[in-house]
Amino acid sequence: MRGIVFALFGGAFITLQGVANSRISQDIGTWQAAALTQLTGFLIALAVLFFVRDGSWQGVKRVKPIYLMAGALAAIIIFNNVTAIHRMGATFTISAVLIAQLCMTFLVDSNGWFGVVKKKMKLPQFIGIGMMVAGVIILKF
Amino acid sequence: MILALILALSAGALVGMQNIFNNKVNEKAGSWTTTTLVLGMGFAASMAMGLIFEGKQMFVLQNMQPWYWGSGCLGVGVVVCLVQSYRRLDPTYAVSIVLTSELFFALLWDSLGWLGLEQIPFTLNKLIGVLVIVGGIFVFKLSGETKKQKKMQMKLDYNA
Repeated sequence: MRGIVFALFGGAFITLQGVANSRISQDIGTWQAAALTQLTGFLIALAVLFFVRDGSWQGVKRVKPIYLMAGALAAIIIFNNVTAIHRMGATFTISAVLIAQLCMTFLVDSNGWFGVVKKKMKLPQFIGIGMMVAGVIILKF
Repeated sequence: MILALILALSAGALVGMQNIFNNKVNEKAGSWTTTTLVLGMGFAASMAMGLIFEGKQMFVLQNMQPWYWGSGCLGVGVVVCLVQSYRRLDPTYAVSIVLTSELFFALLWDSLGWLGLEQIPFTLNKLIGVLVIVGGIFVFKLSGETKKQKKMQMKLDYNA
Protein backbone atom coordinates (compact mmCIF):
# COMPACT_ATOMS: atom_id res chain seq x y z
CA MET A 1 0.00 0.00 0.00
CA ARG A 2 2.73 2.47 0.98
CA GLY A 3 4.63 1.40 -2.12
CA ILE A 4 1.67 2.45 -4.25
CA VAL A 5 1.46 5.83 -2.51
CA PHE A 6 5.16 6.42 -3.10
CA ALA A 7 4.76 5.47 -6.77
CA LEU A 8 1.79 7.85 -7.16
CA PHE A 9 3.71 10.71 -5.58
CA GLY A 10 6.76 9.88 -7.70
CA GLY A 11 4.68 10.29 -10.85
CA ALA A 12 3.11 13.49 -9.57
CA PHE A 13 6.56 14.94 -8.83
CA ILE A 14 7.85 14.05 -12.30
CA THR A 15 4.95 15.87 -13.95
CA LEU A 16 5.15 18.78 -11.52
CA GLN A 17 8.84 19.09 -12.30
CA GLY A 18 8.12 19.48 -16.02
CA VAL A 19 5.35 22.00 -15.40
CA ALA A 20 7.42 24.00 -12.88
CA ASN A 21 10.41 24.05 -15.23
CA SER A 22 8.26 25.36 -18.04
CA ARG A 23 6.87 28.07 -15.73
CA ILE A 24 10.34 29.08 -14.55
CA SER A 25 11.72 29.13 -18.08
CA GLN A 26 9.13 31.71 -19.10
CA ASP A 27 10.84 34.13 -16.73
CA ILE A 28 14.52 33.30 -16.79
CA GLY A 29 14.98 31.24 -19.99
CA THR A 30 15.06 27.50 -20.66
CA TRP A 31 18.78 26.73 -20.24
CA GLN A 32 18.78 28.88 -17.14
CA ALA A 33 15.80 26.99 -15.70
CA ALA A 34 17.44 23.63 -16.47
CA ALA A 35 20.74 24.70 -14.89
CA LEU A 36 19.06 26.22 -11.83
CA THR A 37 16.79 23.29 -10.92
CA GLN A 38 19.59 20.80 -11.36
CA LEU A 39 22.05 22.88 -9.37
CA THR A 40 19.68 23.08 -6.39
CA GLY A 41 18.76 19.41 -6.77
CA PHE A 42 22.45 18.52 -6.90
CA LEU A 43 23.21 20.48 -3.72
CA ILE A 44 20.31 18.87 -1.82
CA ALA A 45 21.29 15.39 -2.98
CA LEU A 46 24.90 16.08 -2.00
CA ALA A 47 23.80 17.13 1.48
CA VAL A 48 21.66 13.99 1.86
CA LEU A 49 24.53 11.86 0.60
CA PHE A 50 26.74 13.38 3.27
CA PHE A 51 24.38 12.19 6.00
CA VAL A 52 23.19 8.91 4.53
CA ARG A 53 26.50 7.74 3.10
CA ASP A 54 24.95 4.94 1.12
CA GLY A 55 27.02 3.37 -1.62
CA SER A 56 30.56 4.47 -2.30
CA TRP A 57 32.79 6.29 -4.72
CA GLN A 58 34.70 3.03 -4.97
CA GLY A 59 31.57 1.65 -6.63
CA VAL A 60 31.46 4.58 -9.02
CA LYS A 61 34.95 3.74 -10.24
CA ARG A 62 33.75 0.32 -11.32
CA VAL A 63 31.09 1.77 -13.63
CA LYS A 64 31.92 2.36 -17.28
CA PRO A 65 32.60 6.10 -17.76
CA ILE A 66 30.02 6.40 -20.52
CA TYR A 67 27.26 5.35 -18.08
CA LEU A 68 28.37 8.01 -15.64
CA MET A 69 27.83 10.65 -18.31
CA ALA A 70 24.13 9.83 -18.73
CA GLY A 71 23.11 12.70 -16.45
CA ALA A 72 24.26 15.14 -19.13
CA LEU A 73 21.40 13.97 -21.34
CA ALA A 74 19.08 15.77 -18.92
CA ALA A 75 20.04 19.12 -20.46
CA ILE A 76 18.47 18.12 -23.76
CA ILE A 77 15.60 16.24 -22.08
CA ILE A 78 14.58 19.28 -20.02
CA PHE A 79 14.96 21.70 -22.94
CA ASN A 80 12.78 19.53 -25.20
CA ASN A 81 10.24 18.83 -22.47
CA VAL A 82 9.80 22.48 -21.53
CA THR A 83 9.52 23.62 -25.14
CA ALA A 84 6.97 20.90 -25.93
CA ILE A 85 4.88 21.72 -22.83
CA HIS A 86 4.81 25.39 -23.89
CA ARG A 87 3.55 24.47 -27.33
CA MET A 88 1.12 21.63 -26.74
CA GLY A 89 0.38 21.30 -23.03
CA ALA A 90 1.45 18.79 -20.41
CA THR A 91 -0.89 15.87 -21.17
CA PHE A 92 0.08 15.58 -24.82
CA THR A 93 3.77 16.14 -24.15
CA ILE A 94 3.96 13.54 -21.41
CA SER A 95 2.01 11.00 -23.48
CA ALA A 96 4.49 11.39 -26.35
CA VAL A 97 7.46 11.20 -23.96
CA LEU A 98 6.13 7.96 -22.43
CA ILE A 99 5.57 6.31 -25.79
CA ALA A 100 9.09 7.11 -26.97
CA GLN A 101 10.48 6.05 -23.60
CA LEU A 102 8.80 2.62 -23.74
CA CYS A 103 9.80 2.17 -27.40
CA MET A 104 13.40 2.84 -26.40
CA THR A 105 13.20 0.33 -23.54
CA PHE A 106 11.65 -2.11 -26.01
CA LEU A 107 14.52 -1.65 -28.50
CA VAL A 108 17.25 -1.98 -25.88
CA ASP A 109 15.67 -4.98 -24.14
CA SER A 110 14.94 -6.87 -27.33
CA ASN A 111 18.45 -6.34 -28.71
CA GLY A 112 20.28 -6.71 -25.40
CA TRP A 113 22.16 -3.43 -25.96
CA PHE A 114 24.40 -1.91 -23.27
CA GLY A 115 24.83 -5.30 -21.60
CA VAL A 116 21.14 -5.48 -20.68
CA VAL A 117 19.70 -9.00 -20.31
CA LYS A 118 18.09 -9.76 -23.64
CA LYS A 119 14.33 -10.17 -23.37
CA LYS A 120 12.04 -11.55 -25.99
CA MET A 121 9.40 -9.01 -26.90
CA LYS A 122 6.07 -10.56 -27.67
CA LEU A 123 2.68 -9.59 -28.97
CA PRO A 124 1.56 -7.81 -25.74
CA GLN A 125 4.37 -5.25 -26.12
CA PHE A 126 3.25 -4.40 -29.64
CA ILE A 127 -0.38 -4.20 -28.53
CA GLY A 128 0.64 -2.00 -25.59
CA ILE A 129 2.47 0.51 -27.80
CA GLY A 130 -0.41 0.40 -30.31
CA MET A 131 -2.88 1.23 -27.52
CA MET A 132 -0.74 4.13 -26.33
CA VAL A 133 -0.56 5.61 -29.82
CA ALA A 134 -4.33 5.15 -30.20
CA GLY A 135 -4.82 6.92 -26.86
CA VAL A 136 -2.77 9.91 -28.04
CA ILE A 137 -4.87 10.13 -31.21
CA ILE A 138 -8.05 10.08 -29.09
CA LEU A 139 -6.55 12.85 -26.92
CA LYS A 140 -6.25 15.04 -29.98
CA PHE A 141 -9.89 14.77 -31.05
CA MET B 1 2.89 21.19 -33.37
CA ILE B 2 5.00 18.72 -35.37
CA LEU B 3 8.17 20.28 -33.96
CA ALA B 4 6.82 20.00 -30.42
CA LEU B 5 5.93 16.36 -31.05
CA ILE B 6 9.43 15.61 -32.35
CA LEU B 7 10.95 17.33 -29.32
CA ALA B 8 8.76 15.30 -26.94
CA LEU B 9 9.50 12.01 -28.71
CA SER B 10 13.25 12.57 -28.69
CA ALA B 11 13.08 13.58 -25.02
CA GLY B 12 11.31 10.28 -24.30
CA ALA B 13 13.91 8.24 -26.16
CA LEU B 14 16.66 9.95 -24.16
CA VAL B 15 14.77 9.34 -20.89
CA GLY B 16 14.63 5.64 -21.77
CA MET B 17 18.39 5.57 -22.37
CA GLN B 18 19.15 7.60 -19.28
CA ASN B 19 17.14 5.21 -17.11
CA ILE B 20 19.17 2.28 -18.34
CA PHE B 21 22.51 4.03 -17.77
CA ASN B 22 21.48 5.36 -14.37
CA ASN B 23 20.43 1.87 -13.29
CA LYS B 24 23.92 0.64 -14.13
CA VAL B 25 25.43 3.29 -11.88
CA ASN B 26 22.82 2.60 -9.19
CA GLU B 27 23.70 -1.11 -9.03
CA LYS B 28 27.27 -0.33 -8.03
CA ALA B 29 27.13 3.06 -6.36
CA GLY B 30 23.83 3.32 -4.44
CA SER B 31 20.90 5.63 -5.09
CA TRP B 32 22.06 8.88 -3.44
CA THR B 33 25.50 8.75 -5.01
CA THR B 34 23.77 8.15 -8.35
CA THR B 35 21.31 11.02 -7.85
CA THR B 36 24.08 13.43 -6.91
CA LEU B 37 26.12 12.41 -9.91
CA VAL B 38 23.20 12.57 -12.35
CA LEU B 39 22.05 16.02 -11.20
CA GLY B 40 25.62 17.32 -11.16
CA MET B 41 26.19 16.13 -14.73
CA GLY B 42 22.85 17.60 -15.79
CA PHE B 43 23.77 20.95 -14.26
CA ALA B 44 27.17 21.00 -15.96
CA ALA B 45 25.65 20.10 -19.34
CA SER B 46 22.83 22.69 -19.07
CA MET B 47 25.35 25.33 -18.09
CA ALA B 48 27.58 24.44 -21.06
CA MET B 49 24.67 24.47 -23.51
CA GLY B 50 23.44 27.80 -22.13
CA LEU B 51 26.90 29.32 -22.49
CA ILE B 52 27.23 28.02 -26.06
CA PHE B 53 23.84 29.32 -27.19
CA GLU B 54 23.45 32.44 -25.10
CA GLY B 55 26.92 33.45 -23.93
CA LYS B 56 26.86 35.97 -21.12
CA GLN B 57 23.08 36.16 -21.34
CA MET B 58 23.12 32.84 -19.46
CA PHE B 59 23.75 34.77 -16.24
CA VAL B 60 20.99 37.33 -16.75
CA LEU B 61 18.09 36.02 -14.69
CA GLN B 62 15.16 38.29 -15.42
CA ASN B 63 12.09 38.17 -13.18
CA MET B 64 13.77 35.65 -10.93
CA GLN B 65 11.40 34.63 -8.13
CA PRO B 66 12.75 33.28 -4.82
CA TRP B 67 10.77 30.02 -5.08
CA TYR B 68 12.59 29.10 -8.28
CA TRP B 69 15.58 28.22 -6.12
CA GLY B 70 13.46 25.55 -4.45
CA SER B 71 12.57 23.79 -7.66
CA GLY B 72 15.42 21.32 -7.21
CA CYS B 73 13.53 19.78 -4.27
CA LEU B 74 11.16 18.21 -6.79
CA GLY B 75 13.96 16.21 -8.37
CA VAL B 76 14.98 14.90 -4.96
CA GLY B 77 11.33 14.09 -4.19
CA VAL B 78 11.19 12.05 -7.39
CA VAL B 79 14.20 9.95 -6.37
CA VAL B 80 12.96 9.31 -2.82
CA CYS B 81 9.51 8.22 -4.02
CA LEU B 82 10.81 6.01 -6.82
CA VAL B 83 13.42 4.28 -4.68
CA GLN B 84 10.88 3.63 -1.91
CA SER B 85 8.25 2.30 -4.29
CA TYR B 86 10.73 -0.01 -6.02
CA ARG B 87 11.71 -1.40 -2.63
CA ARG B 88 8.13 -2.14 -1.65
CA LEU B 89 6.62 -3.26 -4.96
CA ASP B 90 7.58 -5.40 -7.89
CA PRO B 91 9.53 -2.85 -10.03
CA THR B 92 7.41 -3.57 -13.11
CA TYR B 93 4.28 -2.71 -11.13
CA ALA B 94 5.93 0.35 -9.62
CA VAL B 95 6.93 1.73 -13.04
CA SER B 96 3.42 1.21 -14.41
CA ILE B 97 1.89 3.11 -11.49
CA VAL B 98 4.44 5.93 -11.78
CA LEU B 99 3.74 6.40 -15.51
CA THR B 100 -0.03 6.30 -14.89
CA SER B 101 0.25 8.90 -12.16
CA GLU B 102 2.36 11.15 -14.43
CA LEU B 103 -0.39 11.15 -17.04
CA PHE B 104 -3.28 11.80 -14.67
CA PHE B 105 -1.48 14.68 -13.00
CA ALA B 106 -0.64 16.15 -16.41
CA LEU B 107 -4.34 16.02 -17.30
CA LEU B 108 -5.21 17.62 -13.97
CA TRP B 109 -2.72 20.48 -14.38
CA ASP B 110 -3.71 21.14 -17.99
CA SER B 111 -7.38 21.24 -17.00
CA LEU B 112 -6.75 23.59 -14.08
CA GLY B 113 -4.22 25.73 -15.95
CA TRP B 114 -1.94 25.90 -12.92
CA LEU B 115 1.56 27.36 -12.84
CA GLY B 116 1.14 29.47 -15.94
CA LEU B 117 0.05 26.56 -18.12
CA GLU B 118 -2.41 27.53 -20.77
CA GLN B 119 -5.69 26.07 -19.53
CA ILE B 120 -6.87 23.27 -21.81
CA PRO B 121 -10.53 22.53 -21.04
CA PHE B 122 -11.19 19.03 -19.74
CA THR B 123 -13.22 16.86 -22.10
CA LEU B 124 -14.41 13.27 -21.94
CA ASN B 125 -12.16 12.53 -24.94
CA LYS B 126 -9.09 13.51 -22.95
CA LEU B 127 -10.05 11.17 -20.13
CA ILE B 128 -10.72 8.29 -22.55
CA GLY B 129 -7.42 8.99 -24.34
CA VAL B 130 -5.48 8.89 -21.07
CA LEU B 131 -7.28 5.70 -19.97
CA VAL B 132 -6.40 3.97 -23.26
CA ILE B 133 -2.74 5.03 -22.87
CA VAL B 134 -2.72 3.71 -19.31
CA GLY B 135 -4.22 0.44 -20.56
CA GLY B 136 -1.37 0.30 -23.08
CA ILE B 137 1.23 0.85 -20.35
CA PHE B 138 -0.13 -2.02 -18.27
CA VAL B 139 -0.40 -4.36 -21.26
CA PHE B 140 3.19 -3.48 -22.22
CA LYS B 141 4.65 -3.80 -18.74
CA LEU B 142 2.73 -6.58 -17.05
CA SER B 143 2.20 -9.25 -19.66
CA GLY B 144 5.72 -9.28 -20.99
CA GLU B 145 7.68 -11.44 -18.64
CA THR B 146 6.94 -14.97 -17.66
CA LYS B 147 7.69 -15.95 -14.07
CA LYS B 148 10.69 -17.94 -15.21
CA GLN B 149 12.21 -14.98 -17.04
CA LYS B 150 11.67 -12.79 -14.01
CA LYS B 151 13.44 -15.23 -11.71
CA MET B 152 16.36 -15.44 -14.09
CA GLN B 153 16.56 -11.67 -14.28
CA MET B 154 16.57 -11.29 -10.51
CA LYS B 155 19.38 -13.78 -10.22
CA LEU B 156 21.41 -11.92 -12.83
CA ASP B 157 20.78 -8.56 -11.19
CA TYR B 158 21.97 -10.01 -7.94
CA ASN B 159 25.15 -11.32 -9.46
CA ALA B 160 25.97 -8.11 -11.27
